[in-house]
Amino acid sequence: MESGSLSAPSPAREHFDREVLAWMDDVYRFAMSLARDATKAEDLVQETYLRAFRSWQTFQPGSDARRWLFTICRNAFLRSLERERNQVSLDDGDPDALDAMQHHAGMISDGTDQLLARIDLAPALTQAIGKLNEPFRSAVVVVDVEGQSYEEASVILQVPIGTVRSRLFRGRRHLQEMLADYARDAGFAAARAPAGGGDHAQ
Amino acid sequence: MHSDAAQLDCRTAMAQLWDFLDQELTAEKMEAVRRHLDECGSCHPHAEFAEHFLSALGRCRCADPMPETLRERVIGTLRSSGLMS
Repeated sequence: MESGSLSAPSPAREHFDREVLAWMDDVYRFAMSLARDATKAEDLVQETYLRAFRSWQTFQPGSDARRWLFTICRNAFLRSLERERNQVSLDDGDPDALDAMQHHAGMISDGTDQLLARIDLAPALTQAIGKLNEPFRSAVVVVDVEGQSYEEASVILQVPIGTVRSRLFRGRRHLQEMLADYARDAGFAAARAPAGGGDHAQ
Repeated sequence: MHSDAAQLDCRTAMAQLWDFLDQELTAEKMEAVRRHLDECGSCHPHAEFAEHFLSALGRCRCADPMPETLRERVIGTLRSSGLMS
């Protein structure tokens, strides 16, 4: 009888169980990618499902429930950030893919790219994503980590595709800057110094 | 075989590299960038590094399983909020 608390009968309650609860593992993983903290991720999952249930009558039957949940989860994440700290400026500007490529060029000219190409970047990038500010982190997580297209990301992030690209490219550029720092901190730069000679950088 | 689209300059190819690697270009533009990268010695390393970078990002998915207790907690919260029987 409690199920009658839903304000609209459609879509049916049992669809919520089948279509929405079934995605909880994916929502948790997405929340972890955003929050980088298990406790925060669990809170995000809870809030996501509370909000999803309350707005279930707005869900379009046949649409992508997982994507809908990701949207709710991401909004919940942004609200949690607002509570924690001042929101960063959401100045998107124009996407500038060349900006990132110019950074590439610097890494290529000093050999950093060769060094980074030899190691698994995933552990360093996992840490770096956690340091990425919003809205860039969400764009990188949705497209690069979760493998969504720009169009799907624009639905989840609730911004135009051009804004997705802009945030994504800037996020990638920030990550590359962090990778360059990582290479320096890890001593790769020193290792490739020419004084010792030899062909091997590591 | 050569079309105008294939005659990309380096700047244009690099400006489209992320879109190319994300497979977000039209088929014609995809082909033009691919052809440029195959033939251009200075752009090729950029593409290789960007591909390595994106491949690593794709492996950053959280591998931790969802805690066993979370599903029960969520359902418990929905019930205690009167949203679920």
